[in-house]
Amino acid sequence: MGFAHFWFSGFDQIRSGFWAYVAVGLENGSLYAMIAVGYTLVYGVLGLINFAHGEVFMCGGFAAVLITHAILGSGVEDGWASVGLVLIGIVFAGCISALVATGVERVAYRPLRRRHAPKLAYLISAIGASYFLQTLAGKEFGYGQNVFPAEVFPAGQTLFSIGNTPIHTIQVVCLVVGVSMFLSADRIVRSTRLGRSIRAVSQDAETSALMGVNIDRTITLTFIIGGTLAGAAGFLYSIQNGIIQSSGTELGIYAFTAAVLGGIGNLRGAALGGLLIGLFGSFSVPFAFEGNISWTEIYTFLILVLVLIIRPTGILGEKSGRTA
Amino acid sequence: MNLLTRPSLKRLFATLLLAAVVAVMTGAPGGFGVPADTGVHGSFLEHVSYFGLFRTQRWAIFLTLGILAWLIVSFYQPRALSIRKRVAPVTAFPSRLMERRSHRLILIAVVVVLTLFIPHLEHQQFWMYLIVEQIGVWILLAQGLNVVVGFAGLLDLGFAAFYAIGAYSTAWLTGVLPTPAPFHHPIPTLWCIPIGVGLAMIFGIILGIPTLRLRGDYLAIVTLGFALIIDDFVGTQSGLTGGGEGSLTVPKFDLNLGFWHYRWGISPTPYFYLCMLFVVIFIIVFTSLEYSRIGRSWVAIREDEVAAESIGINPLKYKVMAFAVGAASGGFGGVLTAGLIGNINPTLFQYQVSVNVLILVIFGGMGSIWGVAIGAIIVQTATSYLDNYQPWGYQLNDLYMYIGALLIIMMIFRPAGILPSRRRLREIRGFEVEHEGHLDEVLSGDQP
Amino acid sequence: MKLRWNKSVALAAVGAMALTGVPLAAGIGTSSAASKPSYTIGVQGPFTGSDSDYGDYEYAGVEFAVSQANASGKYAFTLKTEKFDDQGSSTVAPGAAQKAVGTKGLVAIVGPSFSGASQVSYQYYHAAHIAEVSPSATAVALASGTDSSFFRTVADDSVQGSADASYLVTTKSEKNITVIGDESFYGTGLANVVATQAAKLGATVTTKSIANINEGGGGNAGAYSTLATELAQANPAAIFYGGYAPEFGELLGDLASDGYTTSNHVIMSGDGSNDPALMTSTSPATAANGAFLSESATGKVSYFTGKMASEFTKLTHTKASVAIYAAQSYDAANAIIKALVADKKTSSISTLRKETVASLHKVSFVGVTGPISFQPDGDLKVDKGAVQISSVINGVITIQTNVG
Repeated sequence: MGFAHFWFSGFDQIRSGFWAYVAVGLENGSLYAMIAVGYTLVYGVLGLINFAHGEVFMCGGFAAVLITHAILGSGVEDGWASVGLVLIGIVFAGCISALVATGVERVAYRPLRRRHAPKLAYLISAIGASYFLQTLAGKEFGYGQNVFPAEVFPAGQTLFSIGNTPIHTIQVVCLVVGVSMFLSADRIVRSTRLGRSIRAVSQDAETSALMGVNIDRTITLTFIIGGTLAGAAGFLYSIQNGIIQSSGTELGIYAFTAAVLGGIGNLRGAALGGLLIGLFGSFSVPFAFEGNISWTEIYTFLILVLVLIIRPTGILGEKSGRTA
Repeated sequence: MNLLTRPSLKRLFATLLLAAVVAVMTGAPGGFGVPADTGVHGSFLEHVSYFGLFRTQRWAIFLTLGILAWLIVSFYQPRALSIRKRVAPVTAFPSRLMERRSHRLILIAVVVVLTLFIPHLEHQQFWMYLIVEQIGVWILLAQGLNVVVGFAGLLDLGFAAFYAIGAYSTAWLTGVLPTPAPFHHPIPTLWCIPIGVGLAMIFGIILGIPTLRLRGDYLAIVTLGFALIIDDFVGTQSGLTGGGEGSLTVPKFDLNLGFWHYRWGISPTPYFYLCMLFVVIFIIVFTSLEYSRIGRSWVAIREDEVAAESIGINPLKYKVMAFAVGAASGGFGGVLTAGLIGNINPTLFQYQVSVNVLILVIFGGMGSIWGVAIGAIIVQTATSYLDNYQPWGYQLNDLYMYIGALLIIMMIFRPAGILPSRRRLREIRGFEVEHEGHLDEVLSGDQP
Repeated sequence: MKLRWNKSVALAAVGAMALTGVPLAAGIGTSSAASKPSYTIGVQGPFTGSDSDYGDYEYAGVEFAVSQANASGKYAFTLKTEKFDDQGSSTVAPGAAQKAVGTKGLVAIVGPSFSGASQVSYQYYHAAHIAEVSPSATAVALASGTDSSFFRTVADDSVQGSADASYLVTTKSEKNITVIGDESFYGTGLANVVATQAAKLGATVTTKSIANINEGGGGNAGAYSTLATELAQANPAAIFYGGYAPEFGELLGDLASDGYTTSNHVIMSGDGSNDPALMTSTSPATAANGAFLSESATGKVSYFTGKMASEFTKLTHTKASVAIYAAQSYDAANAIIKALVADKKTSSISTLRKETVASLHKVSFVGVTGPISFQPDGDLKVDKGAVQISSVINGVITIQTNVG
């Protein structure tokens, strides 16, 4: 197959299945956006990349499997019961993830913060936390796939169609939950007292401490918001894909790419980046050589590398302070 | 001494939490669907039911131990300072020992002699093999990364790439990859050492030039991104690299001097000598580099890049140099591994390999050549032992849990490593000694 | 792993924290007469990492065979088992093999599980004259030569793959086939054989690959629905999927929702998907109806039935119906035991190892997976018509015909 032919056939596939690619892209994209919020908030407040955030998401996924297992056993859930399940699941998974996130902050970051440790130390300590959580999850839940016990919104279930492309219920649920959770996070950060302290600390931690902002509490709050969103994403992800201990690292890197693309430190940038990376991943599938899906991963990481090298501040980032 | 004060109760809570974590860590593994009857197993959810959490006696044991630990700590709390003062000289002893030049030389002589006798002391082929593959090669890798992270202060999360380049170029040059060897003329494995090392260095330069403009965690992420791309790319290119399976038939080393022909067979001992020869060479080269003009430039860049630039050091040039030099020993490690285990595949590129090397560097002491060597020996011996004999509550698969915990603990309590570099030590003595973390800070959080 | 309460308090008092994790593994084999010599059968396979299920299941099969042999009391020796972990990786395998070679009292190996690991381990075992009987390494190239010390109790890839290809092309006369590999060693291998054989038989073959989700392949379900959309558009007459049940189910469901169903096309997969779990992983489950599944006579998942299954479960805490390759390992261990019985009784373990290799070449018995005897190159002797083709009818895997 010629090279040009390969690209043309890729575009052909996109043209004929456009809405299906958009639906898959938005579905994944809203998950990435929800995780990316955690990266970007923590970067804003602490100026560091929370390498263990992917594992926070993973813990949410396992929490979701557990709670569903506890209240439902297994079976197929549909209709209003499934809406209830989604609400309970999101709350539970969000709480567990928020707990894990604050735990990580408490154990891996706070002692270093008190010592004014160099950036390198945070990163290493975060890698440690990520290894620890990942292996612990593997030990407790096994290294194979943990399928979601109940079938919620069965994969084939169609809500409506655009043209002749069926749009699955789960895709709509992901997008709706993603958008509403993001909007509430955005609201909290922009227009509440707590949010104001987060923004103050991001701009200048020392000055805001002098102004009476409790820095420790603000940082904990930041981790809680990021953790809750990641937990909800974990629930939505595990509904369709089940969860394994390494899912966190995998999606974590995608979400991180999203945060960087949107402009790390910028909340709306994270949402924009998430959706863009989701769409990009979906649209790059037809361009995978020999049909090997690993190529979409390669394309996404290329975006990460290129953005960092060419414009580390991302699309919506304004400051260029920290990198150059 | 009041046990019921707020900090004391906080400490109790933290200790119990720690006991619970240790109980879970050393408990039985669990999983969905693995056991015969359905339900959730594992030490966290023992006995199928969710409410079996505290039902088994293991939990009681750990809680008791936690309370005991708390009581001991509480009773000794007032004397903690004097205890710490008494412990400090002991923990500082290894680095003090290394301060005198004569002590260092004696120690080096003893180590070299002991090393030569290892094959006579260790009769199990399996352990000899581990000594080469898990310890010798990893000392080399750690030394290479130490140049990058320790000397020049560049956090490289894609170091495994150099290791893999060494291994893959060996396979390529000996003609066992789908890509034909250069000029369709496979060369003996031993000659891959200089070429493989050279290719790794060139790759270091190619990777370094675009990425090394970035600093700190951004650099770490870019190197990680590159490492992931290469890993995926190598895995997909069955026609070039053999895909996920790589090559299973890398030939063994073979030295033909005409009058004397020596073949490295399946016995690990000859590889041991080859490996040790290069460990010594690399340690000598890196030590002399450390105190050369280049080494001092690295330190200057590490400490303050802007200041270094203002006194006429070209940061990019020296950073790329650090990448290339570090890549050399990584590349050699790759060639040796390929020859020793006789096969290559993309797992050599894995992100985990890079982090594992980083752990050795951090544990030993960033920037300290001897510290890194000793750190590599200790960590690699311990992990090999754990994985092969599974003592106490250790189960297969648990390794990275302990490694993760070790990383956090090192960063809190001994960020400079077990044997800090003397240069670093001076800096730390100057600034950081009052700020060394201790248990109380972690346990009771908010206190100043 | 449980200690008695009073004991445990005493232990806690002396602070023997670590002891609590020690599995009480002592006691294996101590009940039988001490005068009998004790031999070890090693199991090399993945016990850590993403493929550790395979190692665990195979170990369970060996454990089962060994415990039956020890309990029967009719042998002049007692047996032990030991794990040698290669993580399923060819780079780790040399270490595992050398550890096994150096183990005192080890007479033979069941495994390695994976073909890559088998290939690199062979030189170490062969040099030490240790027989390997692999229950699951199916790469064609592994068995070669006539003085092989490598045996296997499973048919190689070529048997099933070419049978599948001939079923699709000759029996079903489909000339436009898309073959999908799941990037696992097994799935890719099978898909490659099917693609090559189908092309030889005159079909137009398109190959695709998609990372699996379960084998640590890094795939995600989104990729499957995208692939399904793509396939539905390309609309080949037949699809062959080389991989495992969960992903095959995912793909079937996604294909059905894109209008590509088994009623108007042939969708087929190999023994990895030939598993009742296929029905639970396909949604809606009806989408699995009409899918074809092949199965080499030695590649079925569950051979333990009735009393045997319950004894297996009781001993190993593993469901017989999920324990893939456990039956093949059971047969492999029994082949080794039969060979040990045939050996001349010598005291030297190195002589015994050599004799076991020689005896394995002559072993012939009926195992749970079928008749077990080996060709000179170590391959399992397989009868004609050894591959069964089944089809899913109303959620039940039903045997249709024999090919091969």
